[in-house]
Amino acid sequence: MADQADFERDAMEFAPQLYSAALRMTRNPADAEDVVQETYLKAYRAYATFTAGTNLKAWLYRILTNTYINKYRKDQRRPSEVELGELQDLYLFKRLGENSGAARSAEEDMLDDFVDEDIIEALESLPDNFRMPVLLADVEGFSYKEIADMLEIPIGTVMSRLHRGRKALQRKLWNVAEARGLTGTAQ
Amino acid sequence: MISGCEHAIDYIYQYLDEEISFFHQSRVSAHLKSCASCTDAYEFERRLKMVIRERGRSEPPPELFDTLRALIQEERDTDEPQVGA
Repeated sequence: MADQADFERDAMEFAPQLYSAALRMTRNPADAEDVVQETYLKAYRAYATFTAGTNLKAWLYRILTNTYINKYRKDQRRPSEVELGELQDLYLFKRLGENSGAARSAEEDMLDDFVDEDIIEALESLPDNFRMPVLLADVEGFSYKEIADMLEIPIGTVMSRLHRGRKALQRKLWNVAEARGLTGTAQ
Repeated sequence: MISGCEHAIDYIYQYLDEEISFFHQSRVSAHLKSCASCTDAYEFERRLKMVIRERGRSEPPPELFDTLRALIQEERDTDEPQVGA
């Protein structure tokens, strides 16, 4: 059992990360702040139910994720299951490879050209049901099991959405790279 | 049995995420030692994952901490019996 009096001391350090995640979920600073505020209020009220010594960060993210889903998917009992179409594996690597010609590791070097805004735009372009697992795994660093618990879906579903979501993210990054003339295909 | 390359690409994310069984992990590791093109692909995906982690975040507004502290303080005050009320 955790003591409510310790809540601020324990939980406040995670606020910047939670805000960043909330912003990727809502794609809007005002909504992100709302979600984070509601998360901290709920977490404070429920802090006595948190088992001290277990993963506080994962516990807070679970509340954040639930808050986001309840607030923004209220009208849809089932989240919209957008499909992405079939994309080849290693999408970005292969597309970059087609253009970079001979040099080994040229594809890797091109990753350095992506700036924060490119990555954020690509993440935010993903449909909700794919964006959540990709965000929680790749940006926030949670395990499949933790993500399954947060989203209340089976681990197999986490894995397949992550797989397809990552490919879609790579396609978007390719489009961004092309638009910015990073791929060498633009004249 | 599927080819080493096919197997390695099928398991690329589980391998990079360290969410893979010992059996598949060993098979992928052995394959990567002998296959330059799969190694390139793995290095690319590993680096992309790092890039997403490093560049996929945003800074919070500077007043976020104050807002949250005030919110919790307000909640605490409403919980406590009002003295002299």
